Amino acid sequence: MSNKLPITRLNKFFSNEDFDLNIQLGQEYLHGDLNMKLVLYRVDTDGTDIDAVYAEVGKDQIKYFPPVEFNALVNIVDPKNSSYKNGLVRYNEPGNLVISVYINHLTELGIDVKYGDFIGYPESEEKVRYYTVSNDGKVTSDNKHNMFGFKPYYRTITCVPAQETEFRGV
Amino acid sequence: MGYPKKNNIKVYQDRELTDRRQELLDKITKGDSFLPDSVLHDDLDFGMLNFTKDNFKVISDGDQIPIIPKILTIQRWGEFTNTWDFADLDGNPKIPFISIVRRPEVQLGTNPSLQRTIPDRRQFHYATVPTWNGTQMGADIYKMPQPVPVDISYEITIICSKFRDLNKFNQIVLQKFSSRQAYTTVKGHYIPIVLDSIEDNTPVDLESRRFYLQTYKFTMLGFIIDDEEFEIKPAVSRMFLMNEFIQSNNFEKSYLTKNLDVTIATFTADGEQSIFSVGETIGILFNVAINGLLQDRDTSYYHVALTSKITFVDKPREGDIITITYYKGRSSVFIDQEGDVRQVTTETFTYDGSNIITTSNFIGGVISLDINGLQQNEGGGFEITGSTTIELLGTPRVGSKINVTYLH
Repeated sequence: MSNKLPITRLNKFFSNEDFDLNIQLGQEYLHGDLNMKLVLYRVDTDGTDIDAVYAEVGKDQIKYFPPVEFNALVNIVDPKNSSYKNGLVRYNEPGNLVISVYINHLTELGIDVKYGDFIGYPESEEKVRYYTVSNDGKVTSDNKHNMFGFKPYYRTITCVPAQETEFRGV
Repeated sequence: MGYPKKNNIKVYQDRELTDRRQELLDKITKGDSFLPDSVLHDDLDFGMLNFTKDNFKVISDGDQIPIIPKILTIQRWGEFTNTWDFADLDGNPKIPFISIVRRPEVQLGTNPSLQRTIPDRRQFHYATVPTWNGTQMGADIYKMPQPVPVDISYEITIICSKFRDLNKFNQIVLQKFSSRQAYTTVKGHYIPIVLDSIEDNTPVDLESRRFYLQTYKFTMLGFIIDDEEFEIKPAVSRMFLMNEFIQSNNFEKSYLTKNLDVTIATFTADGEQSIFSVGETIGILFNVAINGLLQDRDTSYYHVALTSKITFVDKPREGDIITITYYKGRSSVFIDQEGDVRQVTTETFTYDGSNIITTSNFIGGVISLDINGLQQNEGGGFEITGSTTIELLGTPRVGSKINVTYLH
């Protein structure tokens, strides 16, 4: 859509400049002070050779674009103690990764986070845990994602842990 | 358009019978009794494990999907020890894998061949086994009660992340159970396994990890055999009498004294015979001579105490004269017919030129006298000239050994 519609609501006490200032302050805190970095692996859906019948690929056969580092507010949910078979074959499911990322930041980087993309988050120097995007948070119409009801300014992206057969980084 | 070509057709079959031959060999050689081995719950479970491991091999991404090699129970460490080798960095079992779970409850069986049961665990004849204890031949009757039929439920679950893996596993199972049942072997018994149902329990939560989870339910129509219930009873016993027939050979007996049973049995060898029997129990064997030459016991001949036979190592030649001097009593104390206790003594002398031998005791009768092993006869080789003196009638070499065995 080429035509742009100016947002004039709240303009008596909140303007576009205020909106940008708030984002700038927030990014200063998030990117400068917290500096939580993640790596986005965007799946190359065209380049990946998928199965002729089923939309699946074998181990290490997913092709992806060059990884991009980005900043976000990271929240990792508690791990879940569960089992595959009525209490047997137990596993400790790592908690989901919920990140909040400025829309502006993604725009500046020229990237988009899509459903099914992979995100790596280094838990320690030795260990990077990979997640796959289960909710890309593209719908930001709700009040929470709007700054005082003015404009959406961040996305909440939910990711679930990726299995090694699914994705294991570079 | 030509027919599609397949390049990996096996023209020559593998040696299919090798396994069967080994199975038959094991059946013959590994059994340690005539009775069957016990077949208990753990044996049946082991049979199911082997069946799963042998048949449900699914290759995914070039590797076989691991099968948890044990039946998992509630012990947590046991579960961990059987999944650690395909665990991820978090210690969780890495997908894909196959697990075998046995339902803890075991129901009374529905195997058609065992549905009609005999009450009270009555024992039935299983085998009649011949016995031999070295003397007697007999037989034992082996009995056992009817095996107890059991139905054991198993759930084999495949957990994977690819649809194609599900397809492969499903194909294997359906092909294997196309005739409703398949068989596993438990200690030589063929145990049927029936496919009950196939369930898909794949979690459908969008906000959690995704994987396929399908459960195949099987029922093993097994039976329990407990060797504690076996019964072995002796049946008919048969006395096996063994007789040894020794070739008839006339021999002569003479007695050294009238009132004591010291006997000299004399045989003439025929060249074919090596065993000579005096026809009565030899209580004490004094000597055995061939043509007057004394023989060494356990070297030239054998004699089992209190038997009647002398067995030569080499057959005496035809015409050889064999003399056996013995006492037929069953005690080492000689008692003559008058009730007097008599004793036997053997003294050895060295010939010094004098023909008179003086013994230490009163001579009640000479049992044997030999010079350098050559037996002498009373009257021919020596004479008893006094109560303690013997005169040699010949002249041996000086230094010859003279052994005198006499009663006193």
